[in-house]
Amino acid sequence: MKNTYLKRKMLAARSDLADRISEIAVRRGTLYDYVNDILEQAIRADSMGLNLSEVLDDMWVLKAARGAGLTFVSEKLLYDLVEKAYRRLGKKELQDLWYETGQWYGRYYSDLDKFEETTKKLLTEISDLKISKDDKDRLSLTCLSSKFTEAYTELFSKFLEGVLDALGYVKDGGEVAKGMINLRFRKLKGL
Amino acid sequence: MSDVSKEKKLIRAPDDLVSKLNEAANRQGKTFYSYLTEILEQAVRAYEMKRSLKEIIDHFEILEVHEKAGAISIPREVLDRIINKAYHEDGGVLQQIWSQTGRWYGTYLNSKFDDAVEALSRLLKEGRWDLNEVTVKRNKEQVELRCVSTLLSEERSILLEKFVEGAMHSMGYKAEEGECFRGIIRLRFSRRA
Repeated sequence: MKNTYLKRKMLAARSDLADRISEIAVRRGTLYDYVNDILEQAIRADSMGLNLSEVLDDMWVLKAARGAGLTFVSEKLLYDLVEKAYRRLGKKELQDLWYETGQWYGRYYSDLDKFEETTKKLLTEISDLKISKDDKDRLSLTCLSSKFTEAYTELFSKFLEGVLDALGYVKDGGEVAKGMINLRFRKLKGL
Repeated sequence: MSDVSKEKKLIRAPDDLVSKLNEAANRQGKTFYSYLTEILEQAVRAYEMKRSLKEIIDHFEILEVHEKAGAISIPREVLDRIINKAYHEDGGVLQQIWSQTGRWYGTYLNSKFDDAVEALSRLLKEGRWDLNEVTVKRNKEQVELRCVSTLLSEERSILLEKFVEGAMHSMGYKAEEGECFRGIIRLRFSRRA
């Protein structure tokens, strides 16, 4: 019969951490079981190719996604829907919808850096998003995605225009092609 | 002055886990001590977030299913509006596509998780489907699934119903009975012979 009690090892842990773990364990059961559980999860994370520290760092992203009212949909399905809606409804209605949604997100984040950071983390279909200030009144935005269809690229560029509009910038040129958005903006006077 | 971070204390752990940790530390090019320190630090951090490491990893594991399926994030309002527009003319086609997508998810869950029905339930609860409540009741070969949402439109409720039916089909279940209203889905399945 397997006797796990005979197969234990003593591990040297940093004193302050060992104390903290002991404190937490008191609320959960035994220290041995708690340590056991922690180590099992660490091994599980390793086997899934996850880095524990990065996983915990990314917890804010999941919170941010919930807060921002984002939902998941199959990529292919979404692009299909967009193509259909684009043909049937015409560009204007959909572009307005994306623009208005962008304005909502611009107000929601109310900060360009925060928007850039969160968008990069949440919208995994985007290969690159870069917003750089050219001078105090002008900025350039580059967004690349090898997955975007032509219609979706156009709509996403409207979304980005909406975000920037809410943050006080107006479009000042640029180009949009399948999977590539390059836009320039200038600050609205008085802001 | 004593440096608390350099003092050490001994903790007991199962031998087999220690061996696996040692292997992982070697793979990651870390010393056993620094790897253990990192793990314990993250366990404390998780506790301070009012979660356990298991809950956090479970959550990532479930969200990874979306990633594998090529799902992307989109504002709920935009999705609802496009579906609403497309549904009037293409409702049947959309239902079919959602059902096929569900079949893909079902097949994937079946291959990745020991209990695919439980994994589907977790995916629905935690996978940002805008559901407030997901309950699964099992009775021998039968599964009853109930989803409640205050956010789902009627069209998206119907499509989610088709998605769930598709997923359960891939897991070897057929729908026996179902009800779907705006924001409420109730389905009963039995295992196919």
